[in-house]
Amino acid sequence: MFFHDLKYFILSQLKTKNLIFWLLLFPIALGCFFRIAFGEIYGNLTQTGPIPVAVVEEKDNPVFRSVLESMKGLEEQFLDPVDLDEATALERLKNNTVEGILYVNDKLRLTVAEDGLEETMLKKFVETYTLRETILTDAALTHPEKMEAAAAALSKDCHSVASVSVTTGNTNNFTQYFYNLIAMTALYGSLLGMQICFNNQANLSALGARKSCSPISKAVSLAADLTGAVLLQFLCMAVCVTFLVFVLKIDLGNRLPLVYLAACLGGMTGVSIGFFVGSIGTAGQRVRTGICNAVVLLFCFFSGLMVGNMKALVARFVPWLNEINPAAVISDSIYCLNLYSDYRRFGEKLAAMLLISLLFCILGIIMTRRKQYADI
Amino acid sequence: MENTVIKIENLVKRYGDLIALDHFSLAIREGEIFGLLGPNGSGKTTTINCMLSLLAFDKGNIEIFGQKMTPVSYDIKKQIGIIMQDVAVFNELTVYENIDYFCGLYITDKAERKRCVMEAVEFTGLGEFLKFYPKKLSGGLLRRLNIACGIAHKPRLIILDEPTIAVDPQSRNKILEGIQKLNRMGATIVYTSHYMEEVEQICTRIAIMDKGKKIAEGTKDELKRMIKNTETITVEVLGLSEAVRNEIIQLPHVYRTEYDGERLTVFCSGGTHNLIRVLDVFRTHEIRVGRVYSELPTLNDVFLEITGKELRDRKGDSHVLS
Ligand SMILES: Nc1ncnc2c1ncn2[C@@H]1O[C@H](COP(=O)(O)OP(=O)(O)OP(=O)(O)O)[C@@H](O)[C@H]1O
Ligand SMILES: [Mg+2]
Repeated sequence: MFFHDLKYFILSQLKTKNLIFWLLLFPIALGCFFRIAFGEIYGNLTQTGPIPVAVVEEKDNPVFRSVLESMKGLEEQFLDPVDLDEATALERLKNNTVEGILYVNDKLRLTVAEDGLEETMLKKFVETYTLRETILTDAALTHPEKMEAAAAALSKDCHSVASVSVTTGNTNNFTQYFYNLIAMTALYGSLLGMQICFNNQANLSALGARKSCSPISKAVSLAADLTGAVLLQFLCMAVCVTFLVFVLKIDLGNRLPLVYLAACLGGMTGVSIGFFVGSIGTAGQRVRTGICNAVVLLFCFFSGLMVGNMKALVARFVPWLNEINPAAVISDSIYCLNLYSDYRRFGEKLAAMLLISLLFCILGIIMTRRKQYADI
Repeated sequence: MENTVIKIENLVKRYGDLIALDHFSLAIREGEIFGLLGPNGSGKTTTINCMLSLLAFDKGNIEIFGQKMTPVSYDIKKQIGIIMQDVAVFNELTVYENIDYFCGLYITDKAERKRCVMEAVEFTGLGEFLKFYPKKLSGGLLRRLNIACGIAHKPRLIILDEPTIAVDPQSRNKILEGIQKLNRMGATIVYTSHYMEEVEQICTRIAIMDKGKKIAEGTKDELKRMIKNTETITVEVLGLSEAVRNEIIQLPHVYRTEYDGERLTVFCSGGTHNLIRVLDVFRTHEIRVGRVYSELPTLNDVFLEITGKELRDRKGDSHVLS
């Protein structure tokens, strides 16, 4: 009975145009739209060659030297330094053959001519270098063998830090839009979740009433439909992530299996939210679907799907909202995965998703478990 | 000995202030085609939903197959086939898949299920529409699908709630014949409708309900014997004088007349040759008449006489004389 119900739930949902649209086509279309809209920036970022920079040595700085040396050995060149005297350097800066001048003294100083992506990256380089100076000094003087690794880390940081700040210099970047897109798709799973209620509650549809008259127990039927909805949503999430990564070539980091995991868990959260919303109150199907859509979009709005720096604003003024807003939790999980090398925060976000799913599922089951209605 | 399949005692159901069922009692015996006849809003669907334990009711007792019916009486539910008033099918599944789905909720064995589904398909004549989606089916075919989904598992008790709404006469007759066939194959049938012709045609016993109350119960002949009226004569005649009307009401067996300026209706109770006597009056006064009908009482007359209002638009066995 469980598998019979499961089979037909999945079959019927697969044939539902509405769901296919919201869960597959809409995210894909939006993804393409984002990709086109951000295409230029994206191209710049991923295809940046080494940044030409003039190095004017005011004072000998062996640590910086060895950092530069080590960076030359890296696969991906970040800087293309040329040693020059100040006059030549300034001239070249003027005619744009270098993007900036690094003055080497006890400290690093940077002069740039204009504002742009490369300039931002150079600034970040100087900032990061200054921040890490002690570690770098330590490596250069006492553990020369670690120098390469330290320089690589520095270079990588400059890349990622710079890419984070491309647009307006805050922590939003366009990849965030794609994280939010994944979150949105995940939350659209709520439509699937809601369908479970429609199919099983006698007061919501003739089908629900009909099913309630049959000898399948509500527990079995709910379990089967929940399983079906979650499985379908896994599929949709997998399609969405695959499309982003392999078709649109969005860089979601190098821990892709974990991105899939996060997306799927997010999808489960979406299903459970829909299941819960579907189970409360007495409103009809249309009203519920409307409410559900509105809730999803609201979550996504506060997570920054529509306005990029929304999440930063929320973080400043109502920080707890980001912790419980499912859209924010889902997009943050992938963000954390790519920002931090350890798994602590990623794990926390996954746990939060599981918790939210569990909570809404339990609440939904409590609401739908009743078998008799005062009016139909 | 006939067993009681459904026993309803003193059922009371309120929707807020509205009393939808008012101390309603009913006993349906095995092998019957039981008709529940009542106008819109009389509480037929409410009764059925209570019977199936979908609706919580305020008072009363319901037993099916001698056991108290509860929402978890799965053993009882297994033996019931339900055809709801609103078509309950998956719009995204084909005809075959729909029937298979519902049948599968009752029958787990695959081979047996397949056989049952095909039998239901044949029974409802949906054979050529197996791959159709419900949206592509006409109203009548959709109703037939709804029926197929309800009967595929060969239930002992079949409850049909107005299965013929929006169905053309041809399909309707097919459905009615099908119901009688199911009954012959051993199923007890509960049939609700507000079409008295249908109920008269197939039901072995009938309960008439109005405003949540049972107002009469019996076979159709028993019901018709309950009322005074045995014949209703209608004469199309213009400008009838008071005097002639009085003369007609003096005729034996005539107990009431109605005249709306175009049509005279004469109600008779008992006796024979009532029509001839009425026409004799017109002949002696040399009054030209249009069409003349004589109708035997219908369930509508039963309803009319008990409640003082029409069940539905009048129709019946009419004999046209001119
Ligand atoms: N969910 C509800 N809430 C409030 N009142 C209801 C509800 N369902 C039915 N009613 C009322 O209860 C009464 C009985 O309704 P019911 O649906 O049982 O009638 P019915 O005999 O099946 O009519 P129909 O021939 O139109 O199907 C009606 O007056 C109706 O307005
Ligand atoms: Mg009804």
